[in-house]
Amino acid sequence: MTNESALRPSGANVTVAPAASQPLLRVENLSVRFDGAPPGINVVDDVSFTLAKGKTLCIVGESGCGKSVTALALMGLLPTPPARIVQGAAYVGDQNLFSLSERERADFRGNRTAMIFQEPMTSLNPAFTIGDQIAEGILRHKNVSKAQAWERALEMLRRVRIPAPEKRLRAYPHELSGGMRQRVMIAMALANEPQILIADEPTTALDVTIQAQILSLVRRLQEESGMSMILITHDLGVVAEVADEVAVMYAGRIVESGSVDAIFEDPQHPYTIGLMGSVPSLGRRQGRLATIRGSVPPAELMPKGCRFSPRCPFAESRCASEPPPLTEITPAHSARCWYAPLEQHRGAAA
Amino acid sequence: MLRYIARRLLIAIPTILLVSVLVFALQKLLPGDPVLTMAGEERDPEVLAFLREKYRLDDPLIVQYFAWFGQVLQGNLGISLRTDIPVLKLILTKLPVTIELAIFAMIVALAIGIPAGIISAVKKGTSIDYVANVTALSGLSIPNFWLGILLIMLVSVRWQLLPASGFVPPAEDLWMNIKTMLMPAIVLGTGLAASLMRHTRSAMLGVLRSDYIRTARAKGLLAPAVILKHALRNALMPIITLSTLLFGELLAGAVLTEQIFTIPGFGKLVVDAVFNRDYAVVQGVVLCTAVGFIFMNLLADILYVLVNPRLRHAR
Repeated sequence: MTNESALRPSGANVTVAPAASQPLLRVENLSVRFDGAPPGINVVDDVSFTLAKGKTLCIVGESGCGKSVTALALMGLLPTPPARIVQGAAYVGDQNLFSLSERERADFRGNRTAMIFQEPMTSLNPAFTIGDQIAEGILRHKNVSKAQAWERALEMLRRVRIPAPEKRLRAYPHELSGGMRQRVMIAMALANEPQILIADEPTTALDVTIQAQILSLVRRLQEESGMSMILITHDLGVVAEVADEVAVMYAGRIVESGSVDAIFEDPQHPYTIGLMGSVPSLGRRQGRLATIRGSVPPAELMPKGCRFSPRCPFAESRCASEPPPLTEITPAHSARCWYAPLEQHRGAAA
Repeated sequence: MLRYIARRLLIAIPTILLVSVLVFALQKLLPGDPVLTMAGEERDPEVLAFLREKYRLDDPLIVQYFAWFGQVLQGNLGISLRTDIPVLKLILTKLPVTIELAIFAMIVALAIGIPAGIISAVKKGTSIDYVANVTALSGLSIPNFWLGILLIMLVSVRWQLLPASGFVPPAEDLWMNIKTMLMPAIVLGTGLAASLMRHTRSAMLGVLRSDYIRTARAKGLLAPAVILKHALRNALMPIITLSTLLFGELLAGAVLTEQIFTIPGFGKLVVDAVFNRDYAVVQGVVLCTAVGFIFMNLLADILYVLVNPRLRHAR
């Protein structure tokens, strides 16, 4: 078996405050800009959230809303250029990730924080065996022998429930199905027991039956290890199942955030309400599936005020010109809307 | 793997046959009568008839082809019309020289082209990339003979560091051999390095954008491992293709470079043979070159399988 002490996180010398009240990750005012975008239009704009130890935060939103860019910024994997972090901080304990050197960030990646991606089919290197690709991440961060790293890789394949793991260790990615490859990606991400796992739409590219398996696998592994997770998804069904906290993103901004119960039982932002309305449900349903009219405006047409205002059924003139602040509705629930709390309109769009 | 190689070899047979027909046909289409060239000033019809008879030049083409190819299969490429030396012997004396030059030139090309391509891909859009690209463009545009003459002027005449020309067999004096090969290898190699650099750069740029490179970085791997292990391995396919083709071309002889440095290689042999209408030699050399090319392609196919595990199972 692997040497337990050798497998503890090492590398970056960052102190994490163990206080229960303090969140594990605190993101403050993160803005990311793409070169060439119109002035003032950030792909991620003033995003703040916290992630508590052992909890799951779901970031929800449609394609292009900036949720993946947020995740890549946290991992230090933004393609720069064109993407740049123009402001903000991300604290793990007292350490601001964005102020670390590239080398220190690399010591963090795959070690303290890990990430799995949407596309299992292309996320593994076709030229190397599964075992090699898992073991190299272990060898990078832990002071273990090659044999110990491979032993650990085998153990990880067992933990993600890959059949015949000894054989799979020597297999190449093309010999595995999409679901199996995503399990390998999970094994790879968790091999160094990260404190934070960022999962960017990990089930979107998979068959529906496989989606459920992968999701329950991730949840089980999270329970076993006590790690925190940021799950990025556009699937509200997934959110309802795994989230503790939810942040709804629209056009680069968080428009509503709160506990999963608050968001589902009392959605306050018209966009969130619209999202709920556009989820198909089983059983009889009256009329057409509700949709949110229009589409996200291109960057150069983005309104100065609320970015959702061109599509919002409740929008008035002020909405397009003045950006609404994030308004606290309850201590665990806030929404970025001039009309929050939106009691009088509640349910109207759903 | 062995089965794969055997099958590739079998596929090579019809290609070689086709090449032989083409070589034979092209040869016959060349203007000029070899008999007249051979006879020189003498135009005695009897001598001409004797020569035609001796070299079976009056037989129908198909008979000539089979007679020739039958001999080729037995290792007899004929006798040089000009020098009366067996073509095979001529080739065997020139080929090692050309192979040696080709290997040296290829080492120069790979040693410059691949690292330069990698660096300019990784530093895309920076001044380093720009300098590398301009240098590569110059490398592609500067003619070999000019670079060769320039090198001779500087290195041999002014600095007197290396011999300007000539060839010393390695068996005679290895050090001298390397010294004579160095400049021609640099002249040939730098030209090839330029196209290798361009191909390496574009292959690397494509690979560096892929998802698995992001995964490698997400593991915390540092740049050297990401670039040299994960990216380069996948960018190698087009580089292998190009390298083997370039090497095949080098084996066909570097006419100008050999001329400038008076290296007795294939290039000089084939030029002399063409000018002298020395049919047998031209045929032999072209056939030899074509077979060389076919084997380089085979080598490329084998290397693909070694580099890309997906191909191992496709067989």
